[in-house]
Amino acid sequence: MAEPVTPVVKPEIEKNQQTDPKQDLEPGYLVVCWNDPVNLMTYVTHVFQTVFGWQRQKAEFHMLQVHNQGKSVLVRDTLERAEHYVHQLHKYTLHATLERD
Amino acid sequence: MQRIFSSDGPSVFHLSAHEKELFLKVLELYPLIPDGHSRLSKTEAPALEEAQRLLDEALAEQRQTNRRQLDAMLASPQRFTAQRRGFRLRLASSEIEQLLQILNDIRVGCWLLLGSPEEPKRQRMLGDPKKMPYIVVMDLCGHFQSALLQE
Repeated sequence: MAEPVTPVVKPEIEKNQQTDPKQDLEPGYLVVCWNDPVNLMTYVTHVFQTVFGWQRQKAEFHMLQVHNQGKSVLVRDTLERAEHYVHQLHKYTLHATLERD
Repeated sequence: MQRIFSSDGPSVFHLSAHEKELFLKVLELYPLIPDGHSRLSKTEAPALEEAQRLLDEALAEQRQTNRRQLDAMLASPQRFTAQRRGFRLRLASSEIEQLLQILNDIRVGCWLLLGSPEEPKRQRMLGDPKKMPYIVVMDLCGHFQSALLQE
């Protein structure tokens, strides 16, 4: 004879309204650097090389994009990694933000 | 200020006595950028409020650490060596990175205090005795940054 079955009540999972962990793991965030006319061009190139490990040519390309067009999208990544890059750029006092793609 | 020697070890820079004096005076100003100035995003998304708070905390802590380490760096007796014409300054690569961050904080901080002017307006401000000191400090920071970035 089977033992009486205890009904199992599944806990109700409350959906977080503010963040969706699945979305956070998707590379849907852009790291944007904005032009501040105060930063030296050589300094900005150096910071891009240091923070992203880029070759000089790529770093200069993005530096010139910032200088001429007012901004440059540097990378597209997960929320966590985009935050990390923005933190690093702010340590060097560059004007950088992360934006949803 | 000019880089004169660089190998696997620390980099060596030459400074005149006057440059050394100005270098130390400028570094006394650090930090100039106020806490909470940096924005993580252009949009005010609620999901990023916590991340913004963490950024503010991390940058405030970093400025305190930089100030402390800068004082220790400059107090080291081997930091500046007197020469016949000026001084030699020895810096490890990590110290150069830290000084670049510090000098840019002062440079951007002065620029913010001037109201974030574009270049032509900034040059006109040289005639204003209240604003001129900030412009001079900005230019000095740029001079030292350029020297540190020399290869």
